Amino acid sequence: MVTGDLVARTQQVEGLVEDLTRGNVTEVKVVLASVVLALACYQLVLIAVGYGKLRPSFLESGPASKAHRAAGDTILVLVVIVALMCISYFEVEDDEALHVASAIGLLVALALKVAVLRFFHGLGRFLPYLGMAVFALLAVTWLTSAGSFLADS
Amino acid sequence: MSAQTRQMLLSLLVALAIVAIAIAVVTAQFGPTSAAELEAREDRLRERQELQEQRLEQREELREERQER
Repeated sequence: MVTGDLVARTQQVEGLVEDLTRGNVTEVKVVLASVVLALACYQLVLIAVGYGKLRPSFLESGPASKAHRAAGDTILVLVVIVALMCISYFEVEDDEALHVASAIGLLVALALKVAVLRFFHGLGRFLPYLGMAVFALLAVTWLTSAGSFLADS
Repeated sequence: MSAQTRQMLLSLLVALAIVAIAIAVVTAQFGPTSAAELEAREDRLRERQELQEQRLEQREELREERQER
């Protein structure tokens, strides 16, 4: 009974994802993941300005940090959407182990980053390392899925 | 508008531009291989095949009519 409900709900979600993307689920996922990676590269520049490592005359550290936070919130939403699309629409296969592992690592690293930002301010010194971990995991996740798809197409 | 607000808005505008460029570049990579485009191509192919079959049938009917005469 419960299994039947779960299967029916999964099929509903699959149908919703397919309707929203008009059948182009993989393509939409690749575009969203690529947007996230592009924004993540920009995030590195913004936070370098925010921490004072880069000092361009046209951007101060305060606005750069605020923009970094706003873009980060957007990235978080996009990552969750892509992850939900992956889980609901695509099956986990053996040859996707690296992609699955890096994606889980990415979600954990993002959750830790948000937790430090919102609740554990004392652990703020770890934020740069968490940020670098998020970027590295994002790059690996993209390369093992969207990157290889784009290379094939 | 203060200088800081202006800088932040400009930073967000740059982010929007990056998003637009990323979408354009990745979409251009796909070309006409989207599911909708492939479906339309299949429809056109099917229509063409049906038309060819109809013509063949008409020819056969005409041939049969001639033979009967």
